[in-house]
Amino acid sequence: MYYLLPFFKWTDRTWLAETMRGSRLYFPIVETFHLLALTLLFGAILMLNLRLCRLVMKDLPVQQVARDLSPWLLWSLAIILVSGFMLFSSEAMKCYASVPFQAKMLFLFTAMVYHFTIYRRVTNTDRELKPAWGATVAVISVVLWLGVGLAGRGIGFL
Amino acid sequence: MQEVPAQVPAMIEWIQNSAFGTGIRESTWTFPVVETTHVLSLAVSVGLLIWFDLRLLGWGMKHQPISRIHKQIMPYVVAGFFIEVVTGFLLFWAEAEKCYLSVFFRAKVLFLFLAAFNAIIFEFRTKKTIGNWDKFPVPPARARMAGWLSIVSWSAVIVAGRATAYNLF
Repeated sequence: MYYLLPFFKWTDRTWLAETMRGSRLYFPIVETFHLLALTLLFGAILMLNLRLCRLVMKDLPVQQVARDLSPWLLWSLAIILVSGFMLFSSEAMKCYASVPFQAKMLFLFTAMVYHFTIYRRVTNTDRELKPAWGATVAVISVVLWLGVGLAGRGIGFL
Repeated sequence: MQEVPAQVPAMIEWIQNSAFGTGIRESTWTFPVVETTHVLSLAVSVGLLIWFDLRLLGWGMKHQPISRIHKQIMPYVVAGFFIEVVTGFLLFWAEAEKCYLSVFFRAKVLFLFLAAFNAIIFEFRTKKTIGNWDKFPVPPARARMAGWLSIVSWSAVIVAGRATAYNLF
């Protein structure tokens, strides 16, 4: 983490960080949007994963479900990333020292890479996976995203 | 023991000072674990419920009959909601006084009642005619109304719930 210190220091002094610290209402307000978007994203991911496990909408191709959910998923992810960066900027130095924050970023990075590579390939084809494979892909996805949420909650506590 | 403000009723004070509540409040791990479970199960139940609401609005999964999505999603929604209620009561037990005094907590309870009222109306009245509009891409106004009310009230529950934890006032 040490080599990232300049980045944290820079973020801490940006205009955005100064503005966010300008009122004690900004953080709660931005975090509220962060939470609402998170609920939407997690719901969409869960839905798609339940389909991969063949627990819902069995007669609908995975690809169709993925297409239905994808705009919501991408928009909520965009809101999460933007609001997340705003929250981060307001307390960048606290985050630098926070183990849960490091864990969260690790989970987030892994979850996003996984989502846009392996996961996308599995959900963006008309070929149906073997049930066991579908379930495995789904469980990994849920674990990764849950990890993001769990570690994220940890930032406030530890 | 904490100083209890005068305007708190005896019952709230009693809950606050009970051994069990104090135990959760002053624990190192119990409170964070209960609180995290509360938040994550919320993401499960409300996150999935919103998708049903979006279907009611005709905004998503239009190819699926409404009754089928309802049947498939609700077990998970109810399971998550059950965990939320249990962990929610534990959190209230630990911080009864703070909750009682918080205007946000009061708003949250109000919106929970609104959400419950909306769900009851939908389940016992609106749903009776579902056979007529089950496959409509966009269901009739009454069903759309239920979808809107659900999204608004649950979002408000989340917002007010999160605000309860901040010491804003």
